[in-house]
Amino acid sequence: MPRPAPVLSANRLEVGWVGRPVCGPATFTLRAGRAIALVGPNGSGKSTLLRAVLGLLEPLGGTVKVLGSPVDERTATFRAHVSAVLDDDAWFPALTVAEHLYLTARGHGVAGAGDEVDELLDEFGLTGHAEVLPNALSSGQRRRLLLAAGLVRPRSLLVLDEPEQRLDSAMRRHVADRLVAEKQAGGAVLIATHDAELLASVADSAVIVGDETRVVRVDEAVDALRPGAL
Amino acid sequence: MSATVLDPAVGPADRTPIPAARSIRGYTAAVARQRADAGMMTLLGDVYYSVIMVGIGVLIALGALQQLPVVDPPGGPVGLSLDALARPVLMVAAGAVVSLAGRLGPVGVGGAEAQWWLSLPVDRRGLLTPSARRVPVVAALAGALVAGVLDAALAGSASRALRVGIGVGLAAALLVGSAALVQSWRGSRVVAQGGDALMVLGAVSAVAVLALGWQPSGAVDVPWWVSGVLVVLLGAVGALVTTRLDRIPARSLRDSGAVAAQATGALVSFDSRELGRALTDRIARQERRRSRRMRTVRGPLSALVTSDLLVLVRSPRHLVQLAATALVPVLVVSAPALAGSVQVALAVLFAGGVAMAATTEGARRAELTPGLDRLLPLSANGLRRARLVVPAIVMTVWNLAAFGAVGVWYGSVPLWLALGVLAGPAWAGAALRSAFRPAPRWDLAVVATPAGAVPMGAAAVIARGPDAVVVGLLPAVIAILVGAPLPVLLLAQVVTSAIVLAWGSSTETRSLFERLTDSEAGR
Repeated sequence: MPRPAPVLSANRLEVGWVGRPVCGPATFTLRAGRAIALVGPNGSGKSTLLRAVLGLLEPLGGTVKVLGSPVDERTATFRAHVSAVLDDDAWFPALTVAEHLYLTARGHGVAGAGDEVDELLDEFGLTGHAEVLPNALSSGQRRRLLLAAGLVRPRSLLVLDEPEQRLDSAMRRHVADRLVAEKQAGGAVLIATHDAELLASVADSAVIVGDETRVVRVDEAVDALRPGAL
Repeated sequence: MSATVLDPAVGPADRTPIPAARSIRGYTAAVARQRADAGMMTLLGDVYYSVIMVGIGVLIALGALQQLPVVDPPGGPVGLSLDALARPVLMVAAGAVVSLAGRLGPVGVGGAEAQWWLSLPVDRRGLLTPSARRVPVVAALAGALVAGVLDAALAGSASRALRVGIGVGLAAALLVGSAALVQSWRGSRVVAQGGDALMVLGAVSAVAVLALGWQPSGAVDVPWWVSGVLVVLLGAVGALVTTRLDRIPARSLRDSGAVAAQATGALVSFDSRELGRALTDRIARQERRRSRRMRTVRGPLSALVTSDLLVLVRSPRHLVQLAATALVPVLVVSAPALAGSVQVALAVLFAGGVAMAATTEGARRAELTPGLDRLLPLSANGLRRARLVVPAIVMTVWNLAAFGAVGVWYGSVPLWLALGVLAGPAWAGAALRSAFRPAPRWDLAVVATPAGAVPMGAAAVIARGPDAVVVGLLPAVIAILVGAPLPVLLLAQVVTSAIVLAWGSSTETRSLFERLTDSEAGR
């Protein structure tokens, strides 16, 4: 069976601030139906790498391509294919939880937006909060809303920055299951995480981000997440 | 994106065409309108109120400007004409417009728009068009108003003021539009840097004009045909900007929006230093600094003084602010059309007020996040007194320039320099009082005035600092008005400086009235 085409490929991708790299160059390839996890201690450069992959940060060197083309978030096609949930926490003050999801779904041309939104509200335990403004939600509930927004729209590549943050253990397990389903449906998943359980259940390979950024097996990355290992 | 890739792999299969950007904007705006209590009448009321406020402000400014006396002092004017001064001032103003445009984008989106709009595969031009128009329109209105009022006050011709106002307004809009164009190619930072360079060039040319005694052949004017050309250029730039809006990266839009949000917050809370930070911190290149060993630190007092000094010398913005404000009294006394005793006193007060704000960045930051202060074994009063040192030294040096210029103008330098040295600490006390100020209280009473309602809680915060300037600089101002630093005024200056030093370094948070009522109640 032929291998699926790469959804994301990074070749000696170097990222940093003020011209200074925060980590070693990263080289990896992510194909459809697969997941790669970025692991590393705080400040190692995981989120910075994700921002470069999303076109939100100019790389210092190397190349990064999505679906065969250099990353350019200014193109509508890129935005149609890449769904990202970072740690940003901004809301329209007048829009309810459900309306944020409708805006996202309809903006991506989802025909049955109503059903999709209802389904995700239920899945993320937000049905009872559909009509409230996001500012009234708890920190964990707002995180759930962000994750729901990342999933309510079509995508080929799902990029998540520490999706486990601020979630209770049951929701963490649910997110892990959701990401496994994402792969099975043919999507590609790139996550940065500190959660060994999420890493073990979702990722097919891992990138340890640090002075020498390198691709490793998942079990090796799980070992690296133990206290004091990195 | 590869041509073989058609639809996203995962997600709802049943899809409609991607909606137009206008419908996304419309949906968001309609929901916001629906939830907001403000209807059309409220909006019209706000517009009416704003127009009335601006109108009253313009009339007051015109009246005040036309009442200012112009009296040649004994030393005689140096001879800088207003026409010669107008050119560098216009250059500085143009630089300020470009610099501000670069810092605010000029095209940007707020946090919510960045997160929920920019990720949609809709045409970004449609999303960003209102944002792209907003700043040029504001620049045009502000430019037209300021230029028109100044021209009416100085030249006294309404038709000329209208012509100049419209021309300057169009030029301001064109500058901002061009800044948006550069933003779509090279980003905002280069625009802001270009504006800064233009401002520095304006200040340098002002010094050159003063030094060389250059006299232009005529007054600055904007003939109607120039306005016509500006309209054509503005149309062309506007069309070009619209076609390139989708080339502005999300990070640039997001950064600009964040600056605008921070600046708006600072304006609403009347915090000029926060406004300064908003306009400089994000645009500044993040630099690594060589850590100093702090060998001069011998104890808590010198630790605070050293930290305040470091904050100042590592902030080019504040150094430029000090230098530029010191130039203002020099230019005013050099221009016979401006140099009356009232104008000179006002120039010293206003320029000094802006300069003193630059000296207390360390204190202001300490008021917001008192981490270092809490680590040091100093009493609250001791901390305040330590924070006086740097402002007192810097403002004394600043006064040497400002009062030196006044001395040259009046023809007797040494006594004026002595007055400047004695008045330096008064600035420091006022600066510290201004730095350690509480957040505005919006729950206090509102007082009705002819210019509209004034919230007393906010007014009290704005007045904190300037009130101490009025008290502390009173003898110096009287000396400028009477034209001589009389011995009694020098003595009075010593007294008022001491009072304001004590006032500024006080940790008392209650007002005098509150303290009096508390003491009467035996609390």
